[in-house]
Amino acid sequence: MASSPSRLSPAEIADRLRAQFGDDVQAADDVHGHAVVRVSPGRYQEMARFLRDEPDLGFDYFDFLTGVDYTPKGGGYEVVVHLYSTRNNQNVRLKVECAAEEPHCPTLSGIWPGADWHEREAAELFGIVFDGHPHLVKLLLPEQFEGHPLRKDFALMTREAKPWPGAVEGEEIEE
Amino acid sequence: MPQPVKFILNWGRKYSLWVMNFGLACCAIELIATSTSKHDFMRLGVIPIAHGPRQADLMVVAGTLTDKMAPALKRVYDQMPDPKYVISFGSCSNCGGPYWDSYSVTKGVDQIVPVDVYVPGCPPRPEALLHGIIRLQEKIQQEDLQEKWSGKLTQPAVTS
Repeated sequence: MASSPSRLSPAEIADRLRAQFGDDVQAADDVHGHAVVRVSPGRYQEMARFLRDEPDLGFDYFDFLTGVDYTPKGGGYEVVVHLYSTRNNQNVRLKVECAAEEPHCPTLSGIWPGADWHEREAAELFGIVFDGHPHLVKLLLPEQFEGHPLRKDFALMTREAKPWPGAVEGEEIEE
Repeated sequence: MPQPVKFILNWGRKYSLWVMNFGLACCAIELIATSTSKHDFMRLGVIPIAHGPRQADLMVVAGTLTDKMAPALKRVYDQMPDPKYVISFGSCSNCGGPYWDSYSVTKGVDQIVPVDVYVPGCPPRPEALLHGIIRLQEKIQQEDLQEKWSGKLTQPAVTS
């Protein structure tokens, strides 16, 4: 695919972010041509704004936001944000770690209005509280629904009666 | 009711099934395919797309019913005038299908409304729905309306 002259490689994006944010860039990888950056929660909003507003980065399109539950492996929750630059045809993913107990994360809804519903969905499914979100109520689940169904410790009533008949997730890979 | 009158009445009813399309997922595509010219369920007297639930005799629940949608299904069913029939079309509406352990899917529409015919498949082919409609028509032909309205539920049928 043809790329514009100002297109930065994932490594160059990581360098730009390290120059600006220093140690708050906890890790940066090139995954299938996408820059994947782990950022400390304190400067997450600032980095999102930087990625959007810098002309050579220009990540103007908020693609999606989701959560990952690492609590069975001793971790906490992780918020993953995928951004896309329509000018440079470049992708970047931001990852923010949240605590296992009462996970909190800053909101991006003031930077990309489209983040609003994504954060509401992650909030209802993972129980992550997005600080500063204007209207953090349930988006898809029924109002009376209790619990956060994408958490690994969420009990599925049907599986209580009949255990999962296949291999446990991940086991088939480790063999 | 005298037997000949009952025969004529049921014969008339079974070939005039106005259908309420309760299409919820991919099974609805098969339902729509059944209504169009190749499979053409109008030749069995099934009229697709009733103007609303108040004009419908038959509701085909085709697709995944979620707990959030279930009250709407009940409401549409309650709006239909008696005598009314329900075909549960596809694995999801029969029992939850591949979403058997989901947190949001209703495991079978028979928890919400009484089902007359179950059509298995994921999704079932249009022929399977035609088979289900014929089974329903057989059932209507044998029906005693007095018995139906006495409150006793009749035995559901299953196509295979």
